[in-house]
Amino acid sequence: MSSQAETTRHALYQRGRTLQRLSIILTYIILVVVAFCILLPFIWLLSASLKNQTQYYAVPIQWIPQPFVWSNYVEAFTRYNFGRYVLNSVLLAIYAMVVNTLSSSLVAFGFARFRFPGRTLWFILMLSTLMLPSQVLTIPLYVIFRNLKWIDTFWPIIVPQLFGSAFNIFLFRQFFMELPKELDEAARIDGCSNLRIWWNIILPQSKPVIIVVAIFSFLASWRDAWNPLIYLSSQNNRTIPLGLLYFTDGYTSVYPQMMAATVIALAVPVLLYAIGQRYIDSGVAIAEIK
Amino acid sequence: MAITEHARDAVALKAKRSKQTRKRFFGREAVAGYLFISPWIIGFLLFYLYPLLNTIYNSFTRYKLFGKPQWIGFQNYEQLLFHDPVFAATCWHMLLYVTASTVIYIVGGLALALLLSRAFPGNHFFRTVLYLPSLMVGVAIGSMFVQVFNAGEYGLFNTILGLFGIAPVNWLNNYNNPEIGLVALIFVNFWFVGGTMLIFIAGLKGISQTYYEAARIDGAGAWHRFRYITLPLLTPVILFNTIMTLIGHIQVFDTALIFAGGGSGSVGVSGLGSVLGYHNSLSTFLTYLYQQAFVSRNYGYGSALAVVIFLITLVLTIVVLLIFRRSGNTDRW
Repeated sequence: MSSQAETTRHALYQRGRTLQRLSIILTYIILVVVAFCILLPFIWLLSASLKNQTQYYAVPIQWIPQPFVWSNYVEAFTRYNFGRYVLNSVLLAIYAMVVNTLSSSLVAFGFARFRFPGRTLWFILMLSTLMLPSQVLTIPLYVIFRNLKWIDTFWPIIVPQLFGSAFNIFLFRQFFMELPKELDEAARIDGCSNLRIWWNIILPQSKPVIIVVAIFSFLASWRDAWNPLIYLSSQNNRTIPLGLLYFTDGYTSVYPQMMAATVIALAVPVLLYAIGQRYIDSGVAIAEIK
Repeated sequence: MAITEHARDAVALKAKRSKQTRKRFFGREAVAGYLFISPWIIGFLLFYLYPLLNTIYNSFTRYKLFGKPQWIGFQNYEQLLFHDPVFAATCWHMLLYVTASTVIYIVGGLALALLLSRAFPGNHFFRTVLYLPSLMVGVAIGSMFVQVFNAGEYGLFNTILGLFGIAPVNWLNNYNNPEIGLVALIFVNFWFVGGTMLIFIAGLKGISQTYYEAARIDGAGAWHRFRYITLPLLTPVILFNTIMTLIGHIQVFDTALIFAGGGSGSVGVSGLGSVLGYHNSLSTFLTYLYQQAFVSRNYGYGSALAVVIFLITLVLTIVVLLIFRRSGNTDRW
């Protein structure tokens, strides 16, 4: 009797194990197929950026260019002015990264560490601004900036960063709330000013969230097409997205060069992800749900 | 003993002192708090509240590049809602685009998250590959996909269709069926499911394993475990992802813009036609707003359009919230 039960249990166990192994194999197969499909256009892009015109239009697709036309990258930078666009984009993105991270953390510090009347109200108001597309508010801003003679300068893009952005403030605030209060209270008793508490005590403990916000601010600026498209007009002020939108050379096709420029634009997020991967993986997802 | 007592005294003293400090500084605390959040308040008033009120006001005016706004009542709205075929087409595009994209994001993201929530070798690699494209959203990825969707046989997508014996499709400049560009635009979303996936994985990690063990002992199969444990407990995360996806997709702009240009680099050159695509087949809320306000310089009409987009987003968000509230489990919100 008992041996029979044992046999059944053993059979069940065996079956469970086979099923589990099967499901793992199935998982691998699905993931490999999905990952391959996701990667394919990027592989194509990389190869296309190194082709000449004939190779570009070859049927079937010539996956490994012969020869490698590295000059596409050189041409993108020189002839199509991408050197200038990259410079503009990098400067704007670094500025956004530094300034937005600082201003957002400052505001978040206010929300997380002080009690004042109206705090919840302001916070909810801030969160609700996240829910609505900010682009619909552009017309009045354009008129203001035009009256200030700021059109075709970087000011309309630079200035708003000074005031923090709702999502970053939210991320910082959630993180600050988790930090123990003992340290800043001790510091306050020792006569530390609030600004110094923020700078010397809160920020040094907040490396993960700082990295996540910094990377996201950089990327938001890097890929922003709306603001540059509306506020910038002269060629030397273009950023990379604008450069790609206006990428043309009269009537001849310059797609390989354009693909080279696209690779440059896409390489930066990959690079940043490689740097901040650990923090993005854990930080973003957790913070977003809270 | 003595040490513990001493420590306890110290803690008590500290607590007392901090309470005193807090009380003494309450007025100051409020001032300091407001000082710290003042950058955001100033930004909110300057770059949010004022533009919002001004946009609402302008939407009732005739307002062009030069000259002052002239009050015309509801004329802009009447024109927009009842006599503007481009806006009607745009609404139709957005309905299709937002619905399809949201389904792709939620179903795709959740499916991949379920696959990747288990630990197995290579998990991290797959997660990275799937997540990376969602950091790249924007013109650059659009410029890549314009070429991927190239009309000729050499286009990557057509090559793949060719493997299944399907003739090359003219995706982005199809003058017979311009709507097919919208299909391409929707299709691109498959590359961005990694973002929602990552949030779903974190959500799945938050579900205690004991539920699953209990269910397994009770003999519940995989489907039942998913249906009666995972899905209900994941509702808040699904809600979050749905709202974020909806709002994100209503704002689709750069990909649509570069798709509309068909990769010709002519966005700024020929204006209207290429901003919205052939026969306006790729118009979205924001490309239409861009075209009305910043290409045609109809600030008044553009403002009415802006207000309508604003309201649609607001209503959609509220509707999603209500649907999820009715289906229960929103405690964590």
